[in-house]
Amino acid sequence: MDTLDPRRRQILDLVEQYARDKFGAPPFAADRDLVHYAGRVFDGQELRCATEAVLDFFLTANRFAERFEADFADFFGAPGAYLVNSGSSANLVALTALTSPKLGERRLRPGDEVLTVAAGFPTTLAPIVQNRLVPVFVDVGIGDYTALPERIAQAVGPKTRAIMMAHTMGNPFDLDAVSAVVKKHDLWLIEDNCDALGSTYRGRLTGTFGHLATFSFYPAHHITMGEGGCVIAAGQSAEELGRIVRSLRDWGRDCYCAGGENNTCGKRFSQQFGTLPSGFDHKYVYSHIGYNLKLTDLQAAIGCAQWQKLPGFIARRKENFAYLRKALAPYEDRLVLPVATPGSDPAWFGFVITVREGAGFSRTELQRHLEERRIETRALFAGNLLRHPAFLDIPHRVCGGLANTDRITESTFFVGVYPGLDAPRLEHMAEAFRGFLKKR
Amino acid sequence: MATPRKLRCTVSEILDHGDRVYTLRLKPEFPAPRFTAGQFLHLAIDPYDPSAFWPDSRVFSVASPPDQRDGLEILYSVVGRFTSRMEAELRVGSEVWAKLPYGEFVVAALPGTEAALLAGGTGVSAFTAFLRGYAACGGDDGSRVHLFYGARHPGLLLFRGLLQRLALARPTLRATFFAESGAAPGQGVEPGRLSLAAAWSALQRPAAATYYLSGPPAMIRGLGAELAARGIPPERIRVDAWD
Repeated sequence: MDTLDPRRRQILDLVEQYARDKFGAPPFAADRDLVHYAGRVFDGQELRCATEAVLDFFLTANRFAERFEADFADFFGAPGAYLVNSGSSANLVALTALTSPKLGERRLRPGDEVLTVAAGFPTTLAPIVQNRLVPVFVDVGIGDYTALPERIAQAVGPKTRAIMMAHTMGNPFDLDAVSAVVKKHDLWLIEDNCDALGSTYRGRLTGTFGHLATFSFYPAHHITMGEGGCVIAAGQSAEELGRIVRSLRDWGRDCYCAGGENNTCGKRFSQQFGTLPSGFDHKYVYSHIGYNLKLTDLQAAIGCAQWQKLPGFIARRKENFAYLRKALAPYEDRLVLPVATPGSDPAWFGFVITVREGAGFSRTELQRHLEERRIETRALFAGNLLRHPAFLDIPHRVCGGLANTDRITESTFFVGVYPGLDAPRLEHMAEAFRGFLKKR
Repeated sequence: MATPRKLRCTVSEILDHGDRVYTLRLKPEFPAPRFTAGQFLHLAIDPYDPSAFWPDSRVFSVASPPDQRDGLEILYSVVGRFTSRMEAELRVGSEVWAKLPYGEFVVAALPGTEAALLAGGTGVSAFTAFLRGYAACGGDDGSRVHLFYGARHPGLLLFRGLLQRLALARPTLRATFFAESGAAPGQGVEPGRLSLAAAWSALQRPAAATYYLSGPPAMIRGLGAELAARGIPPERIRVDAWD
């Protein structure tokens, strides 16, 4: 195998050395450097793995994708993991999988309802609309920013067939309440775990409660591949759902051969599908109206290096969150600080703040103060998605009003807790908050 | 199903059963991906270069249980060019490549159902992992599984001791052995070739059973045709066969 070629080793060693020289960060300078809300955190290992994939030059998913999927599936105790090119693609594939004819009477059909929240990222909602299903919105809590549990039970109607929600900002939604509703009404559950890789609820990893779970590896997320995402399936339908997910990802084809492979099932020319002639080439038999959402082995190689760092990344996110929580505690009379859902241990994505009514300043004023000090802030994604141009006219139902969601749209933002935030950056953030709040 | 993964493996043991039939035990460099009893792997003798395509390979049922992911076991009988190379070239310590899991030849032993597993020769390897798991469950859940296993002579009834122990471990599991020659009284081996007639008479509700066939192509073709002639619908005739 040419991975033992001495020139290859030389190249890889040089790349690692280059990475150290090029990306070794100088000390933080508050008057010059941005304090990002998120970002890639890496070292020479990522560049080394990426270069390995380049030298393989297989390009499409190969040994690194296989390795990542195996490790990822094992981490969650899932029978399989399916890499896709983004977290949004993961959501699209997961929700679409539930519409597969292969599920028979259990499949979602146009007009069926899916419970979700409006305070989130658009691509949790978009696949519901794209599949001609009807989203049913419930409000969220201020402080935990997850669906109000009592509303979930109230929102179930005769056409409700599924729940698809995110563990917003890494904070698990009330999985006791949701799981009870899922069980009582025999619903499908998709956990959008894009913000929550490593979060636990009652000691169990989020992403293992639903029938399907989705993940994102965009640079803002817990680990990155640049672009990338993943789907896992769990429970009794896991094998079946996994096959459907893979088919939808890979053009909708029935065959599961990897790129460049033939007849791995040994039945390429001996089956009959649809009204095709018996023995029609299985590589070109399509059982779904699918997409091409695969990623490259280069991305997966970076992911393999990042995967080794995940425990450290999660610990750092929790530490940074705890630092900000403590630093801002004196100002809780004017700021709603984030709280973990009872029973959960979040691998926080960000530190969410809602400016209290009567605080004496607006969210925008506080954000401007921070941004002027080069501290990045972000809205809690879209705020109320129903107020965006794309979603104004979608068929939907709202259960119990969205007062908190609207309040988030007006008064909520977040700052980072990502592992790239070191002590000087955190101190700078805390000082900037103090500087603003002491004057008010 | 798990995404298939390519694994460099070392041959850790070769058992010679005689008549050019072997068990091959492999030690993968990483734990094998999760697989289901009845699935198979592709084995390559030539080195795999990740910058190139997968080399020439052949498929073999994984005979080892799914919870044993740090060691894989396959059976093979020398019948063609590839298996001749295996016999000639593989030694303990040899490096080979495997990729797995593949296939959907999964036995469904559900309450109220009867599964008839018809195995010829090394085709039994498609069932061994399942039978280990089934026997380990113990008890009577209303399912019935009956293995009918034939070989050329009793010495080639691989795993016979294990299969007999498994059948004793769970009352809902039965095993009947056939040998074309050399079967002596008291061995627990029926003389003659594995036949559908014998299986049919041994099953509780043969017309309602699901049949799983694994073995030489001629055996599968013959038994498949007989089952169809007896009115068994195609969805209840599951075949472990490759192009």
